[in-house]
Amino acid sequence: MSDELKSTSCEQADVEPTATNSAVPIWIIVLTLILLFLGAVYFDRHSGWFDQQVYAPFNSAEELARYQPQSGEAAMITHSKAVYESVCGTCHGSDGLGKPNQAPLLAGSEWVVKDIQSLVRIPQAGLNGPIQVAGHDWNLSMAPMGAGLSDADLAGVLSYIRQSWGNKGGAVSADDVKNARTAISGNAPSAADLAKMTPVERGHAVFQKYGCFQCHGPDGKGGVHNTNAKTAEQVPSLIYVADGYTKDELKKFIMTGERDIPRMNLAGPEPPHFMPSWGSIISSNELDDLPSFLFSLKLKGEKSDF
Amino acid sequence: MINQNRFSVFLLGAATLALLGAGVARAADSLDAETKARIERFEKGALTIDVSKYPGGIRDNYEVFSTKCTQCHKLSRPINCDYVMPDEWSRYVKRMMHKPGSGIDTADGKKIYEFLVYDSSVRKKTMLDDKLAKATAEDKKAAEAKIKEVRDKYDK
Repeated sequence: MSDELKSTSCEQADVEPTATNSAVPIWIIVLTLILLFLGAVYFDRHSGWFDQQVYAPFNSAEELARYQPQSGEAAMITHSKAVYESVCGTCHGSDGLGKPNQAPLLAGSEWVVKDIQSLVRIPQAGLNGPIQVAGHDWNLSMAPMGAGLSDADLAGVLSYIRQSWGNKGGAVSADDVKNARTAISGNAPSAADLAKMTPVERGHAVFQKYGCFQCHGPDGKGGVHNTNAKTAEQVPSLIYVADGYTKDELKKFIMTGERDIPRMNLAGPEPPHFMPSWGSIISSNELDDLPSFLFSLKLKGEKSDF
Repeated sequence: MINQNRFSVFLLGAATLALLGAGVARAADSLDAETKARIERFEKGALTIDVSKYPGGIRDNYEVFSTKCTQCHKLSRPINCDYVMPDEWSRYVKRMMHKPGSGIDTADGKKIYEFLVYDSSVRKKTMLDDKLAKATAEDKKAAEAKIKEVRDKYDK
């Protein structure tokens, strides 16, 4: 018994260990490919493409504190500030100082701290015509930028502007906005009134409501100056859209908008005006009526084809 | 050693593929990708048209077409796009013509339009016939009349 064992172990010791070449199993290669692909997709989605904010998100504890989850009032203010920046800030400025020939200042404006209903009316219904703000005369128009905001969001934004930049107004509650909105809606054309109007008239109302004339001129007859835009530095007029678009093409264009306005001088600044995407702002009924009005702008007696 | 080399080649290949994949995923995220992709596809096609067999008037119009339209975009965009019907060209040319500062007056616009209608009836005949077949009887009749008008004017 023990002899047998001995001889076996002796035999095994005699065999030289050898190393053989063999191909890497195909499944490892496939697995590597899949993992690499997923890795790259993950990298693409989450790396921030080496953005400073991702790789050096903060320089001090103070800065970091802003990124901490907030609750109650602090969160409300942060949210309202964000809404302000996206809806109002483009024209009125992040600093509330307004922009020359575009929008009056809000910092120190008597309208901001006045009674709540007059204030709600401005973002809710828009504002056209002359107004004096902090001793200066303005005669511009503003689209109903806040009409699509919820009561709470609009209240938040109004509270934000009433209490920022040195303004000393009281907070506005969602109920205040709701009441003011009910009072204002009494003046808007009713569904029955709208049904009596022709599509062109309804389209004109839409054109006025959303302030299209601010850029495209009264009745779309001539656009405002647009520095460095390839279109002769003008926002195009709309009197020829009937020749250039079908109704569906026009609707699609209004919905999508055009953010990248080609530049006249490639090295020059980005043109300040661009076509917003109205898809999420105007209702589908309004979008149906608008082309009727725009097509009616065509000059009488002009041939539409060649 | 050989296997190691082979493996690093595989790794390289895999990395390239992965990056490509990520790129595709990224492109799909961007806004209005459909329209952009469509235009890019057109622009990748031929940059010029061989007009040597076209009548003289059409050859002259091709000159207007190639000088005016390249002020703002590559000529390959209209050359390879899927517009073929006279009304499509009419809208497209009018849309471009009425952009402020285009420098295309009605006379130039008409030349460009007639060139495009003529060219579509020759070079893009299959696509044109296909669209004509799908059009309503009324639209088909109007389109054929327009094409005939342009062909008669230049073919003489």
